[in-house]
Amino acid sequence: MIEFGQGNLRVPKWTRPVYMVAAGTTDFRKRYPEKKLEELCMMAFRMLLEDNHLKRDPLEVKGLVNFAAYGEFADHFQDQLLCESKVHDYIGLDPLPNIGVKTGGATGGSTMLAGAQSIASGYSDCTLVMGWERMDEVKTWTGNYYIASAACKDFETRLARNYASYYAPMARRFQEMYGVDERVRAAIAVKNRGYACSSPYAQQPGRHTVDEVLAGDIVSDPLRFLECCAMSVGSSAMLLCSEELAYQLTDNPVRLYICGGTHTLRTGDRRPMRIPLLPNETEADYAWLYEEMKRTDGRWPGFESFAAARVAAYMVYHMAGIHNPIEDLDLVETHDAFTISDLQTYGDVGLTLYGKEQSYVTSGECYLDNPVTGKPGKCPANLSGGLLGTMHAVGATGIFQMAEVFWQLQGKYDYFHGRDELWARYGKHKPAEWKSLQIDNPRRGLAISHAGVGSHVTCAVLERGW
Amino acid sequence: MSDNTQPGMKPQKIDQAGDAWILHMPRFGAEGTHFHTYGLLTPYFKGLTEGKLLGTACVNPKCPITKGKGELWIPPRADCPDCHQPMPWHEVPTTQGYIYTFTMVERGGTGLEVTCPYYQVDVKLDGVCTIIKSWLAGGITTPIKIGDKVRARFRTGADATNTNLDLYWELI
Repeated sequence: MIEFGQGNLRVPKWTRPVYMVAAGTTDFRKRYPEKKLEELCMMAFRMLLEDNHLKRDPLEVKGLVNFAAYGEFADHFQDQLLCESKVHDYIGLDPLPNIGVKTGGATGGSTMLAGAQSIASGYSDCTLVMGWERMDEVKTWTGNYYIASAACKDFETRLARNYASYYAPMARRFQEMYGVDERVRAAIAVKNRGYACSSPYAQQPGRHTVDEVLAGDIVSDPLRFLECCAMSVGSSAMLLCSEELAYQLTDNPVRLYICGGTHTLRTGDRRPMRIPLLPNETEADYAWLYEEMKRTDGRWPGFESFAAARVAAYMVYHMAGIHNPIEDLDLVETHDAFTISDLQTYGDVGLTLYGKEQSYVTSGECYLDNPVTGKPGKCPANLSGGLLGTMHAVGATGIFQMAEVFWQLQGKYDYFHGRDELWARYGKHKPAEWKSLQIDNPRRGLAISHAGVGSHVTCAVLERGW
Repeated sequence: MSDNTQPGMKPQKIDQAGDAWILHMPRFGAEGTHFHTYGLLTPYFKGLTEGKLLGTACVNPKCPITKGKGELWIPPRADCPDCHQPMPWHEVPTTQGYIYTFTMVERGGTGLEVTCPYYQVDVKLDGVCTIIKSWLAGGITTPIKIGDKVRARFRTGADATNTNLDLYWELI
């Protein structure tokens, strides 16, 4: 049993606070041949500068930028190394410093972490954080080949060359050890794809039923088609500032706390560890789990949970003063690349105790309108539509989801999802039955950015700054 | 023929998407071979081709985790991640284990060398601290479950691929 050394769980301490002031994004599509990658990035950048009611003109704001952090998951999709350099030049930020960040599916979150550190340290007063991905320039099954190189080349990649297959054994083990009802998994897909119907950015919005999800083709057993996200193209961006500058640019800045955790690339290499406890947990809560694991030859995190997510949550909750996540947070954006990775994460980040993950769904608290209580859900998840409904242009994903939490906290959901002009910008019509998903008076939100089978996870707490 | 013409330059195929031209850019074949080293892991892969399952284990008494009595790592590693000392090789105490988890791979990505559909299995062996990902022989004719017992098999001699695919499992 591996235990954490006292120094390992030191809570990060920034020298000064970090604020978000603006966000921008493209819509997301399976194929976007109309625009080159840097042209998509420009769309996100212009929206960030022009659409966020900033108190200075776009070109003045741009003149304040000191540093840029850029995220892209997989160079080989585009055969363009140093894409950071092309984008930076195209949006006119030369010769300011920039950095490229990649951590698999957590690239967006890690890029935000890198950008936040530039503000917290005083290196920069104003940092652009931008992520993108273009996955449409190869056939889908070749895209799978590329993504599979994010598994261990010598010992795993050769086995399926299809990323869902490295993920599915975790789903199988979690399902059996925790008695997961497949209808609960399917409900997550129905919820997130349904919320995507309110989003002009969404790639696969849809009104589905649980039965429909469960009747779909198997992609990698036990995961069915509608339980898996799709490949995506697009870009998202946010602007981070020091406290003084933030309040000069906007009356509604959002404070950001963000931390990361990691674990081995190969799931099978994760040796048994003692569970680091979140503020709302005690040793007594998990006595049953250690007993159970003795009986089933199990281990934590094993194939069932993500130590990377647990460590990231531990650190950011201590940084941000979150004591009981489901009570203290008003909304969450989770990395729902697959329904089951979503479910697993609820325990990792303390929305429920380990073993009780399904209750977050069955209690109805993950919905905007709780169907069980008839009241607002305590902590709705993925009002953006998530990865299942809206997008997974990998380098952009974590950033996009933070933008969605940001706009919710500012009370601007309708402004950024309901304007006819915005739908028209992407060649779409706002549906007649469009529904606002604005939460009433939210104060704090959580956004999770996650890589594959949990090699990297970031957890960000966003908090109203006014 | 114009003075500007260079031999070997020919038009590349394009598709049209709206106003955009989509250019076809084939990747190169044998010229694109990577020369990838197995380094200090070579004994593992050599062992598979000889029908042996080898791993490495920490013997450093000062190691904070193993205290010198480490379990085997499979996949192996030359250096202990806990104390950074080299780890010697030995053969597994048993090649019989059980299915810890699995998935049924219906279809793989481009370049998959395993015939689909097949079961990708994660196997737990006594004396090994890791869980080994591999493939199960026999396609999907016999449905499997967590806990099913399996035995290691090897692709040896002329059948060897010199990759991790030379290890596979069968139900017992």
